[in-house]
Amino acid sequence: MAPPLRLAALLVVVVAVFASAARADLVISRADRKVDLTSHIVRVLTSLKVENAGSEPVSKVLLAFPNIQAKNLAAIRAFGTEGKVKGLSSILPIEIVEPSGVPPELTFFSASLHKPLTKGKILHLDVLTVFTHFLQPFPEEITQADSQLVVFQDSSHYLSPYPVKVQTLSIRLPGGRVESYTKYGNTKLVDSELKYGPYEDVLPFSYNPIIVHFENNNPFAVAKELIREIEISHWGNVQITEHYNIVHGGARLKGEFSCRLDYQSRPYARGVSSFRHLIARLPARAHSIYYRDEIGNISTSHLWSDSKKTQLEIEPRFPLFGGWQTTFTIGYGLPLQDFVFSADGKRFLNITFGSPMEEILIEKLIVKVVLPEGSKDIDVSAPFPTNQWQEVKYSHLDIAGRPVLVLEKPDVIPEHNLHFQVYYKFNNISLLIEPMMLITGFFLLFVACIAYMHTDMSISKNSPSYLAKLQWDEVQATVQQIQGIFHQCLAVHDKLETSLHDLSRSGDAKSCKAARKAADAQFKELAKELKPLLLSVQSSPQSYQIWPKLEDLVAKEREMQEKLMARHATVVDSVEKKQRGQDIENRISSQQQKIAALRQEVESLLEYLSEI
Amino acid sequence: MFSQAAKAISSPVPVEWYPTLAVVMVSVGLMLTASFFIYEATTSRRNRSLAKEIVTASIASVFLGFGSLFVLLASGVYV
Repeated sequence: MAPPLRLAALLVVVVAVFASAARADLVISRADRKVDLTSHIVRVLTSLKVENAGSEPVSKVLLAFPNIQAKNLAAIRAFGTEGKVKGLSSILPIEIVEPSGVPPELTFFSASLHKPLTKGKILHLDVLTVFTHFLQPFPEEITQADSQLVVFQDSSHYLSPYPVKVQTLSIRLPGGRVESYTKYGNTKLVDSELKYGPYEDVLPFSYNPIIVHFENNNPFAVAKELIREIEISHWGNVQITEHYNIVHGGARLKGEFSCRLDYQSRPYARGVSSFRHLIARLPARAHSIYYRDEIGNISTSHLWSDSKKTQLEIEPRFPLFGGWQTTFTIGYGLPLQDFVFSADGKRFLNITFGSPMEEILIEKLIVKVVLPEGSKDIDVSAPFPTNQWQEVKYSHLDIAGRPVLVLEKPDVIPEHNLHFQVYYKFNNISLLIEPMMLITGFFLLFVACIAYMHTDMSISKNSPSYLAKLQWDEVQATVQQIQGIFHQCLAVHDKLETSLHDLSRSGDAKSCKAARKAADAQFKELAKELKPLLLSVQSSPQSYQIWPKLEDLVAKEREMQEKLMARHATVVDSVEKKQRGQDIENRISSQQQKIAALRQEVESLLEYLSEI
Repeated sequence: MFSQAAKAISSPVPVEWYPTLAVVMVSVGLMLTASFFIYEATTSRRNRSLAKEIVTASIASVFLGFGSLFVLLASGVYV
């Protein structure tokens, strides 16, 4: 099997001098490239010192990439400062351009300067480029015991439309074995750092292919698809649910997998290319964190938290070898006040876009922002272009559904973990819709009970049992009224009693007499009320059981009334005649006992009636 | 980017109060419900006052409604 040199060979053909007059004005006096190959996401930091050698001011700097690299380019960022020394740099806007007269095998990006670079001036330009799927596993299939070897291809010369005076390239490798690397003059491998250069006076579009073949056992975690759902509740929570479909994107496993013998006994010798855990850095104060899949909770997870972050380490159900995949869901809640703000009458969510997982490549990221029901005027501001559309989600206690803003972006890397904002309008009154629904629900339940108790559900309206029931209802209602009257009577008794107590303290016989008079009047009134009720009970055929008790009650009560009045009169008389307290006590003691006995009987009768 | 004037939005009721509010409001609601049903069961059909029933029912449902909302919120179901 030939090493994958074909693509590089193809590019050599491309190397030709296309120095048009306009581009020749710029000269790169120094280019330093640092390539980080420690993970599966390749980061290249290119520091350029650009000089304007022409007479016309230049406002754009072109950056060239071979198409095979450009299609794997996940992010490109340029920072520039003008002047002799490097100062505070500012981000330069970058766009893709197609200048005329250039080979079709190259893709060009143009960094626009904030102000044109005049003659003789120097610009320091730092370009960070991040590539995915750049490292090719070679061999493409390995056994469980093998290490994973990957191939990196690039040019030892900086590919640029401008001449480069001095340049270097340094490649940081993850450590471990280096199988081979292209050797030119000025090539050094020190520890895990591979250095090319310095090269001097290189022509524009110079391409000098290099290949590095080395061991890289770092997790090649690739999420085929990640759906991130961010649900805002104005009751105080931002709930995040992330559905992962993760695959090991490195060299495929060939042959059988021996778990018990090889993997568990000597995991580091017999499964180095696999990865068994992932680390997620969640925001501080994340709570209610869970980790599960279709079958249920996955218990192999660990959590640490401090005031700045929450770190979650999760182990999938099985270690992932090359080509294996697993799906799972993690979810967590975040405090509302950390992520939702209001400004200028609008509210907005300010949260990071990408996944909290470390060094993960997401091939397709879908972020769904579920806004509370009743949100209007939804608007988004993201730091990079995304596909956007809106949906409706039905969740707990919803009527019209919640508006969902969906953002989709392919090839998301940790560099895309930037904050984005979703603006919307929401009235706090809408918060009350949910409790109102619950209240209405409960109230309807009560109304149903009231209606059931008030309606007459019997079918035959003139059957004897139905009529008997009606009569019995009537008797019951009357008995309840009678009970009420008796309770009033007892209250009047109590009043008389208290007036006697007052008398013994103050000796004011007049007010006591007045109280008796009032009580007498009340008794008469109550008796008048009682009469028709008693008659109606008596006349009802259903009352044969109750009537004797009622009669008894009436008699007892009357007797008690008389006794009470008599005792009251005696006490008042004695007080008026200035008798001693002891004598009064003696005179009424027998009455007192009778009254107490009667009261007990009356009360037990009333209780009996209320139990019917 | 957003300006410094942006103000953080927090919940209308502090989140820490939810469990207490849930217990208090649900228990008050259940007591009122109990008194409602006791009244329904013990008073005869002729003596029952509709106004009293409606008033008890509505107060009970307000307490039960808010109580169950706070039960949901306290248990992590953010509606």
